[in-house]
Amino acid sequence: MGDATYPAFLPRLRKVRSVVCDDGCCGKCVMKLNLFLLHAFVLAFAICSLAHHAVIGAEPASRGSGDPEAMRAAGAVIFDAQCASCHGESGQGTEDYFPDPLTGDASIGELAELITDTMPEEDPDACVGPDAEAVAAYIHHAFYSEAAQLRNRPPQLALQRLTGDQLRSSLSDLYSHFAQIHRDRWEDLKANQGLEARYYTGKKWDEEAQKIARTDPVVDFDFELHGPQKADGSDAGIDGEEFHAHWHGGVRIEETGRYELIVRSTTSFTCAFGHNDDQLIDNHVQSEGRNEFRRSLMLTGGRMYPIKIDMNQRKRKGETPPSSISLSWVPPGGVEEILPAHHLMPGWVPPALRLETQMPPDDRTYGFPRGISVDPVWDEAVTSAAIEFADLASVELWPDYLKQHKKDKIGRKKLLLQFLDELIAVAHRRAPDPAASKGIIDTATAAHEDETEQIRHAILLTLKSPRFLYPTLDVDRTASQRAANRISLTLHDSLPGDDWMLRRIEEDSIADEDGRRALARKLVDDARTRAKLREMFHHWLEVSPADDLRKDEELFPGFDAAVVADLRQSLDGFIDSVVWSEASDYRQLVAADWTLTTPRLADFYGEPWQAADPEQTSEASITVDWANGMARSVADEQVHVGVLTHPLVMAKFAHHRTTSPIHRGVFLVRHVMGRVLRPPNEAFTPLSPDLHPDLTTRQRVELQTSPESCQICHSKINPLGFALENFDAVGHYRIMEGDRPIDATGGYSSRQDEEVAFQSARDLGDYVATSPEAQSAFVERMFQYFVKQPIAAFGADQLETLTERFAQSGFNIRELLIEIAVISSRQESH
Amino acid sequence: MPTSRRRFLQQTGISAAAAHFATNLPSLALGAESTNRQRLVFVFSPNGVIPDHFWPEVDKKQGESEMEFKRILKPLKPFRDQTVTMHGLCNQIQGDGDGHMRGIGCLLTGVELFPGDIQGGSDTPAGWSQGISIDQFLKNQLQADPRTRTRFGSLEFGVMVPDRADTWTRMSYSGPNQPVAPIDNPYKMFDKLYGQAKNRELLASVLDDLSDDFRTLEKMVSVEDRHLLQQHQALVRKVEKDLQVELAAKSDAIGHAVPELPPNVEDQNDNMPQITRMQTELLVNSFAADFARIASFQITNSVGNAKLRWLDIDEGHHALSHEPDSNEDSYEKLIKINTWYCEQVAHLAKRLQETPEPGGEGSMLDHTTIVWTNELGKGNSHTRNNIPFVLVGGGLGIRGNRAIDFKRTPHNRFLMTLAERMGFPQETFGNPDFCGDGVLTGV
Repeated sequence: MGDATYPAFLPRLRKVRSVVCDDGCCGKCVMKLNLFLLHAFVLAFAICSLAHHAVIGAEPASRGSGDPEAMRAAGAVIFDAQCASCHGESGQGTEDYFPDPLTGDASIGELAELITDTMPEEDPDACVGPDAEAVAAYIHHAFYSEAAQLRNRPPQLALQRLTGDQLRSSLSDLYSHFAQIHRDRWEDLKANQGLEARYYTGKKWDEEAQKIARTDPVVDFDFELHGPQKADGSDAGIDGEEFHAHWHGGVRIEETGRYELIVRSTTSFTCAFGHNDDQLIDNHVQSEGRNEFRRSLMLTGGRMYPIKIDMNQRKRKGETPPSSISLSWVPPGGVEEILPAHHLMPGWVPPALRLETQMPPDDRTYGFPRGISVDPVWDEAVTSAAIEFADLASVELWPDYLKQHKKDKIGRKKLLLQFLDELIAVAHRRAPDPAASKGIIDTATAAHEDETEQIRHAILLTLKSPRFLYPTLDVDRTASQRAANRISLTLHDSLPGDDWMLRRIEEDSIADEDGRRALARKLVDDARTRAKLREMFHHWLEVSPADDLRKDEELFPGFDAAVVADLRQSLDGFIDSVVWSEASDYRQLVAADWTLTTPRLADFYGEPWQAADPEQTSEASITVDWANGMARSVADEQVHVGVLTHPLVMAKFAHHRTTSPIHRGVFLVRHVMGRVLRPPNEAFTPLSPDLHPDLTTRQRVELQTSPESCQICHSKINPLGFALENFDAVGHYRIMEGDRPIDATGGYSSRQDEEVAFQSARDLGDYVATSPEAQSAFVERMFQYFVKQPIAAFGADQLETLTERFAQSGFNIRELLIEIAVISSRQESH
Repeated sequence: MPTSRRRFLQQTGISAAAAHFATNLPSLALGAESTNRQRLVFVFSPNGVIPDHFWPEVDKKQGESEMEFKRILKPLKPFRDQTVTMHGLCNQIQGDGDGHMRGIGCLLTGVELFPGDIQGGSDTPAGWSQGISIDQFLKNQLQADPRTRTRFGSLEFGVMVPDRADTWTRMSYSGPNQPVAPIDNPYKMFDKLYGQAKNRELLASVLDDLSDDFRTLEKMVSVEDRHLLQQHQALVRKVEKDLQVELAAKSDAIGHAVPELPPNVEDQNDNMPQITRMQTELLVNSFAADFARIASFQITNSVGNAKLRWLDIDEGHHALSHEPDSNEDSYEKLIKINTWYCEQVAHLAKRLQETPEPGGEGSMLDHTTIVWTNELGKGNSHTRNNIPFVLVGGGLGIRGNRAIDFKRTPHNRFLMTLAERMGFPQETFGNPDFCGDGVLTGV
């Protein structure tokens, strides 16, 4: 299974004995079969007898009298005698017997029951009833519970270096600082799609020759010999044998990854990408048989890359062949498709950094990437990224800067100093200051005569410096600068590079809470936030473009790469439409009775996946008009339960042929309810359906996890997972499994020992939407993903306060993000 | 690495002074390894030549004479014993494309151009070549054999090649419809050859300054946080140490003596002489380091219109080449231009001659053949008969000091001869219709 959702302040569980079980199951501690076994038995036995004496020797009257302190004191004595030899004096674990610390979120009652039934391991009867209750009360208070851990070790902010994503984003904005940072707001995405197009007849460029000026949603044309026509198919006065056409705008990248761009054309064209001078494809010469051009590019999420296609149909002596052109792509985890309109923006778009270097993965112990360590591989990748950046800076940023400052007349040398100072200032998150940049610039200019080498040297020094790599090493900066550094890092994984933001920093208007909130509000509605949020959801739901979701082809014919690609778009689109709608309602996210669909999905999943009649879905808050090719589905409260029953999620938490209630349950316990599960101690292979032909999947799981030792965790896991049994291994809604009806009843017992029963996924979704426990888990997850620090480090009651505020805002996710950014920028906590 | 070879290269390095020193010690060149490398360089200059001042007289009966250096070829006189002129080779490829397009596009490929949409000054429009060029073909052959495989196989140098990909700017093809772009910016070529090494050196030079940064910033953080910074600092120091070892080892090793280019030379017409020199140095260097055994050196392009102002010629080369022979002024200028190109070839030959063959006998020129060529025989007639093919050097083992006349022979047979002499005889190369009689006789 994937990431645990332990709060950041919990110690990382040791994995000495844990073998992650194939089924994501959790077993109780199993005795090690080693040479110490016999010894342990003897020792434990001896201690047991001693303990009885000790307990008897204590004051029996004080137990059960309702005095919690006295009860804990008695529990402490028993724990020292019977438990500490294996679990350690303060439950920290012992190397030889039980290395994992005793921490978790079970209630005192649950703990007492567990101890009664299973502890001490070699003689469970030795500690039962009131003794077990006393021990439970003691350990819960002393070190087991989350509250105890907080008391014992107040979490602190830890210094972190930039993560891989943060490095990539920071470099992107450093580049764009010079070129202009393009802010793509949600409204822009909805309103501006496609590419700006101009069509000219003949060879000329004048007004008379320009016959069509329009926005083309996509580039996919077969002009044949008649040439480009008006949208209604009528003649535009263009000579099909001699014309030129031009498309320009930007390509919206929502997710960092490797993309393949494909242009197919039987006509001469050139395609610039990323920067006007960077010709991605040069097919100036049209040569028979050379009609397909593929380019693979590593692109950054939340960024817009300029694209320009110039097509030129030349009249030939003899026969001029028909002309055609199309622009397609293969996004990460997707299949080839015509580049969709909502991934295109018409008009001028500033140049954007193309960074090929891929950073090594960061630590993800707590379910989100953090920069907590350095190693040679990482260091080498930083160098490579810095050099790549330096090369682009010297061939693109510097020449462009020269052009922009042509009128300044201060001389090339001075201009270079100014350019470098500005670059160093933004990279080191401070105001331009020639004195502060002097060290780097002098070193670089003294080392080389060649301008390009000077730039490269200065940039390498700048980007390898801890000033760049450790974003919070900024106590010597102004309060506004520090606030902006943190808000940019929280929301965009980046640094302040936008000109308007730098001005606000200079004015020092971000120092107080209102100023910071205003900044966060402005920054939240931005493609960069959307990209980070999407990544968070992918982590949360454990879906990744790299997933292999192929299933048994006989059982699930038609569940192919194209369906999976559509499912990815559907899930991403659904999340976007909820989060970026007016209400931005968390409850919709986990319980909406609709989703986004495509014709292909409707074909595969049937009626509940039909597109809704737009007339009847007048719910003003959520529209999906931005998403080409996707439509809102009809409402069906059984089939659609927000992200929880989305087929991509259901298929991810399923086996090749059957569902996996355990995977689904673990996901729900950990990720949705925010509970802690110890990792399993042993690997189990799920029981084979072939060996138990009479059992349903649910029954097989119940059988396999029936031992008491399994039930400690599986009593939590299974009932949650079972509630999703109506969804098969490809997320298709079903009421029968073979010839047996589905039983999707389930339940959950909360931290407050409240028992909830579910009839189906619908009940589960409604519970997740309204449960304060799940809401708090969501808030904490969001906080930690965005800030990469434990929320408790910002105050012990911060989570509670923020969850309350979340509720008051109507569970508005965007507002939550703003508050998270504001909290992350509070100076006193640093 | 045998000591003699290593010592030898340490001595030669790449600087002219060192090379000069080494040539006086021929015994040094007799290393333990005798690899017998064979190399080919195709040097291209555009717009045809002035035949009367280019071609030596050839005995009509014999079809061959001793070399006679007329005005244009005079710079090659010092290489008399390794120079051969090959009159009578004709690029007879027909089909799509104008004379200049077919002139360059079929020159090394010996095959037609695809139909396409690029319209020249006459004839039908065309696209790219339908086949591989001889340099890329030979590269593939050499790279297929571990004994002759090199880091790049082939290198494509250019000088002032216009920044557009079209039939006139591409001579080399890795296959049908696959033109290979020459690199005409010496700094870019330098990056390709030595970029990695240069980046390592740059990195080494910044690490020490980084340590200062760490020391300053350490003071700003808590004791716990300092731990990560200290770890990072230790990493920086380790990288620094490793790099010192690596770079020291490199400067000892052969082929990594990185040449120095003059800084800030911009890609401009008037810098053409300097760029040509820089590219020549890089070419000689990469051959010495055995980065490649095949190269092309394309000065401008077909229809190249460089203005050779340093010769006091302000008109563009192509424009001049259209003038009738009766225009004495332009006639004289064209002779000067052609002579300048010849000087560049001679300089390349000189640099190769000055550099002893690494691990082998004699100079690098003894193991390299320069094939100097052109897209046209003569500019104002656009003829592709009598393409000016001049061979300099001993790479192909062809005896020098000869002016040969092949009397209207398709140039495909010359391409086949190159393949055969490099050890890869072919039944045909390019369009088989022009290969009927096999390799050239009398070479």
